[in-house]
Amino acid sequence: MNFWLIRVLSILGAIAGCAGLQVVAGGQSDYIQRLLILAGLYVTLSVSLNLINGITGQFSIGHAAFYQVGAYMAGFCSVHYFKSSHLPPLVWLVVTMVVAAIAAAGAGFVVGLPSLRLRGDYLAIVTLGFGEIIRIQVQNTPALGGSYGMNIEPKVQSIALVWLLAVLCVAVCRNLLKTASGLPFLAVREDEVASSAMGVNVTRAKVTAFVLGSAFAGSAGALLASYEGFITPATFGMDVSFIILTMVVLGGTGSITGSIFAAVFLTLLPEYLRGLKDASGGPLTLTGGTVVAWMIGVIFAVAVLRHVYEDAKRSRLNRLCFGIGGVVVGLIVQAIASVMMNKIGALHDKIIMIGQLRMAIFAVTLIVLMLLRPQGVFAHHEFSWDWVGRLIGRRRRATV
Amino acid sequence: MSLLRLDSATIKFGGLVAVNSVSFELDKGDLFGLIGPNGAGKTTCFNLITGVYKPTSGVITFRGKSIGGTPSSKIAAHGIARTFQNIRLFRALSVLENVVVGGYLRHRTGLFSALAYLPSSINETNRLRAEAMELLKVVNLAHVADVRSADLSYGMQRRLEIARAMATQPELLLLDEPAAGMNPLEKEELLVMVKKIRDEHGMTVLLIEHDMRFVMNLCERIVVLDHGEEIAQGPPSAIRNDPKVIAAYLGEAV
Ligand SMILES: Nc1ncnc2c1ncn2[C@@H]1O[C@H](COP(=O)(O)OP(=O)(O)O)[C@@H](O)[C@H]1O
Ligand SMILES: [Mg+2]
Repeated sequence: MNFWLIRVLSILGAIAGCAGLQVVAGGQSDYIQRLLILAGLYVTLSVSLNLINGITGQFSIGHAAFYQVGAYMAGFCSVHYFKSSHLPPLVWLVVTMVVAAIAAAGAGFVVGLPSLRLRGDYLAIVTLGFGEIIRIQVQNTPALGGSYGMNIEPKVQSIALVWLLAVLCVAVCRNLLKTASGLPFLAVREDEVASSAMGVNVTRAKVTAFVLGSAFAGSAGALLASYEGFITPATFGMDVSFIILTMVVLGGTGSITGSIFAAVFLTLLPEYLRGLKDASGGPLTLTGGTVVAWMIGVIFAVAVLRHVYEDAKRSRLNRLCFGIGGVVVGLIVQAIASVMMNKIGALHDKIIMIGQLRMAIFAVTLIVLMLLRPQGVFAHHEFSWDWVGRLIGRRRRATV
Repeated sequence: MSLLRLDSATIKFGGLVAVNSVSFELDKGDLFGLIGPNGAGKTTCFNLITGVYKPTSGVITFRGKSIGGTPSSKIAAHGIARTFQNIRLFRALSVLENVVVGGYLRHRTGLFSALAYLPSSINETNRLRAEAMELLKVVNLAHVADVRSADLSYGMQRRLEIARAMATQPELLLLDEPAAGMNPLEKEELLVMVKKIRDEHGMTVLLIEHDMRFVMNLCERIVVLDHGEEIAQGPPSAIRNDPKVIAAYLGEAV
């Protein structure tokens, strides 16, 4: 009784929270609303990819393909069946989300089954290839608008639904990990041979995770389609897969909390950069030389930091000093390199707007992370009230 | 009727005959030893029984059913569980979670009830955790139930592997060098533990071990392999004095 009461209250709470977010966002600019939508979609995408890559230990690098399958499935259905369905647009959107999830799950099954039966990195190759095949196939299918894109009616912009899907995705993954049913997935990640000796059906666990993750990506695709009202194959290129992957790796493969934070952070970061102004009020630009100099600076800083991290014997203060030292070294190297690089004419004359550096920043983030903290920022830790309690408790003790 | 029967089991890896026409039988309740020098084919025998490899020829029957070539994930459901010579724990998982994976075989609720966090799934999880806790007491690991399994000492990891295998509630337990890397005291404890597993939990045990004293003290019957071939079989007293066995171990004290 008590259990069901809490359950109903938490579901109502989630719905109220998401609806509240929509109400609050309603008063904001289109731009803020757009960011909220994108952040919500990326939370769903990264958490669902984390189920495949982090929790089950597979390596899918083409998650955008299932996002695309969902978006086009939903778009196609809307174009052909919305009018005759006589449903209110919001209800219709929920229907297309379900249809898109099923379509993406089906695609996930077809792609996953043959490649997941094998051990090794076949999945990476296959998912990468599948993403490109789907994109090019859509480009050449007139019924789906080809490379010009597809207009979608009705256009519904529901921040509430976007975040409800994100909450659902997080809840499903959390639930899985809280019950014994999640253990076979983790066991497969840890050791396939031992898992199967314990009676775990390894292929089944991998395919289940892959299909479930794909379904959520498909549902997110339906939301994107109806939000934009217009989709083209270019929306789902390899760079989108790469961004989702970066979010999972940055947050920590296996940590749902990490994926959520990384998704929000990496959605907002490029927008923040785009908004930066130079002294005269125009968008901030860098010369090619400065960009190269930054990369060299990062390399030096990482080299120093890595040296410090690998030596476990150092004291805390020692680590802190060397940590700051590493950053300073990086900045000095950057300053010197910047002067030298900008002497090279071609690098000096190449003007880059900082907003365009998005992919470069993602790539550098990934490399730095691999070198300094391969387990990701959150490693495999999860947010819990217990943890908050300890944090506050520690602070309290410190002030006494 | 014997519980496990190998009848001329043979496997070839390219030109190498790793196990050559090996036959032996285990009865229910046996404490059976499988010994032989390094590379004799002992672990490969385990891999044949547990479906990691399919025998090139020969028959393996368990409870009268042929199991040669059955996929390894189905073997546990037949009632055979094993440990690994090179420890294969789920390193990032806690000690308790490792054992729950072993018990998952007997888990009765579906995936949906877990995803929706329904009471049936929660109860099932609690049941499996309680069962796992009982097994941890058997191998003296209850006090470290929440520790990451990778952080355990070597001897503890070996014991955890045994508990994890026992969690599948097998009729036959295969232990691959369970005492390797243990100190004399831990070996003494293990000896008692394995006897207890057979006597109180009713599991038949087939074990590979290098430590002769350990095997001779524990096992009631022994089969000896050398270069993939079976060279002797019988009670410890007979094995100890068998000239072929002494020759295979090149004068090592048997
Ligand atoms: N998968 C394999 N491929 C090729 N050779 C193998 C394979 N597995 C085992 N062998 C060989 O079979 C022989 C027996 O190995 P093993 O059963 O591990 O010996 P041990 O008695 O020490 O456990 C060794 O020579 C080993 O190299
Ligand atoms: Mg061996």
